[in-house]
Amino acid sequence: MCTRWLALLVFSLGSSALLAQPTPPPPNQEQTMQILLDRIQQLEKRVSELEDHKRKQSAAQTGTSDSQTVAESTPVPANAAPAQALHSEHPANTTEIREMQVHYPSLQIRGFGDIDFSATDQKGSVSGFDLGQFVLHLASPLSEKVSYFGEVSFTAQPSGYDLQVERTIIRYDYNDYFKMSFGKYHTPIGYWNTAFHHGAWLQTTISRPEMVKIGGTFTPIHFVGLLAEGNLPSGGLGLGYSVGLGNGRSSILSKAGDSGDSNDNRAWVASVFARPARFYGLQFGGSVYHDKLSPLQGPELREWITSAHLVWTKEHPEFLAEFSNVHHRDIQTSQTFNNQAFYIQVAYRLPWLENKWKPYYRFEYIHKPESEPVLSDVSDLVGSTFGVRYDITNYAAFKGEYRNTRHGINEPRVNGVFLQTAFTF
Amino acid sequence: MTADRKIASRAAWLLWCLCLFSLQPLAFDSARVVDVAVVVHPDTPVTNLTLAEARKVFLGNRQYWSTNIPVVLLIRAPVARERNVVLKTIYQMSESQFKQYWIAKIFRAEAASAPKVVYSNDMANELVTAIPGAIAFIDARDVRSGAKVLRVDGYLPGEPGYPLR
Repeated sequence: MCTRWLALLVFSLGSSALLAQPTPPPPNQEQTMQILLDRIQQLEKRVSELEDHKRKQSAAQTGTSDSQTVAESTPVPANAAPAQALHSEHPANTTEIREMQVHYPSLQIRGFGDIDFSATDQKGSVSGFDLGQFVLHLASPLSEKVSYFGEVSFTAQPSGYDLQVERTIIRYDYNDYFKMSFGKYHTPIGYWNTAFHHGAWLQTTISRPEMVKIGGTFTPIHFVGLLAEGNLPSGGLGLGYSVGLGNGRSSILSKAGDSGDSNDNRAWVASVFARPARFYGLQFGGSVYHDKLSPLQGPELREWITSAHLVWTKEHPEFLAEFSNVHHRDIQTSQTFNNQAFYIQVAYRLPWLENKWKPYYRFEYIHKPESEPVLSDVSDLVGSTFGVRYDITNYAAFKGEYRNTRHGINEPRVNGVFLQTAFTF
Repeated sequence: MTADRKIASRAAWLLWCLCLFSLQPLAFDSARVVDVAVVVHPDTPVTNLTLAEARKVFLGNRQYWSTNIPVVLLIRAPVARERNVVLKTIYQMSESQFKQYWIAKIFRAEAASAPKVVYSNDMANELVTAIPGAIAFIDARDVRSGAKVLRVDGYLPGEPGYPLR
């Protein structure tokens, strides 16, 4: 009996000792510390703003000079402000309410940049560093219903920097179901072209897939004209649409018709997508694009681009897949050409090491018929990319990639190592 | 033998009490879990949202309550429990994913601005009453009387099955 009591004693001691152990620190303690420090900074800034405001008000009321007010005010110790703010509730006053309400126009600017290194075993290639695109993004609500978005890029060239207006859009929102805009867009074909714009920090990988690469001709990257977009009443299916009419490609196929169309025929694009509420993170959709091409060299063609995508936008895992068929029909001879391309990209944000590491893999494929008359810079492609992204902060990342690609038929495979640091500011 | 048993019995009783005492903070923690209410401006033409609809609103995919009332998102500053509940339940994102999401959303020209940050439940109460179309998550204990609290999936805060806690 005594033995049984002793066993109970040992069990009780053991269990109480276990229960008495302190909670282990969370794995993302460093991140929490950073958040706390950010919060402290925000609160300190807020306290000083409020003090300034109060000082100005009292100065205005009493008619005393600013210098006197500053001299009389007692400085708050730097470490006291956050402590007070954290432990006391913070009711909003009229000034804060006024500050919270949007003022028009209200310009916000955000910048993106990246610095790259590349080395490949391709004959004639030169390894080294290069500055990627320096991108500025401008957003400004002009009223409750009207807003402006702009994007400009600076790309390093041997003779200087090439400045491009990538997007300039003025949009009128009627409601969630109808938003009308005018300007220069990234053409809503497929997924990548409208999900990731010119900031490399936004995308997981170092570069865009070849089929949607900036300056490429497979997909018309830009579109100048008007666009209607919005949600479709569809309950949990989460349907959305966009329909556009514009200039399409210029006579240089990689360029948009910024300064006017190359012919009297407008391009149009229509796309539909679904984001089912039941599967948060899932998106799928399709798009159709039509244009008449009048290239500098080559025959006039009718162009039909059909595209479909299926993506899972969460990071555990991230899955992106997109397919496009570019159909050309010679207006003179009625000969047709079909060019196909797709990519599949899989990534996974690792749950360890503060969720900072994200390995990824992408497979790309492009097929172009030999007789295709206008897509001269496109070649057959089979390629794999293995890489990893490391988010050094919330706003900057390092990426490293190994690529194995084969351009053209019977061409040797090319191996390459690519490094990038991409950031937003 | 009887004395030994008495001593062992008392020791076991004491240890049992210790056990209960050490379990108490856990029980206290679970009792402390408080629902987070979804509060909107009184003129907002909505009384019930499903969790999926709330997600659509907070992801910026629904930007208008009606043609003339835009949605104004209010969210607590980092570290606040209400923010953690919103990130975990609604966004299903970490703090850094949340920041990246809104940068990308604005950069895609899909939203003009990110949610506005509020520093306390009092401030959230004030602003949600003052700004037409505003929606905020507030600790259910701090919701002011007369505030318009939405049902989520048909439940009000405090009711069994309420999803935001």
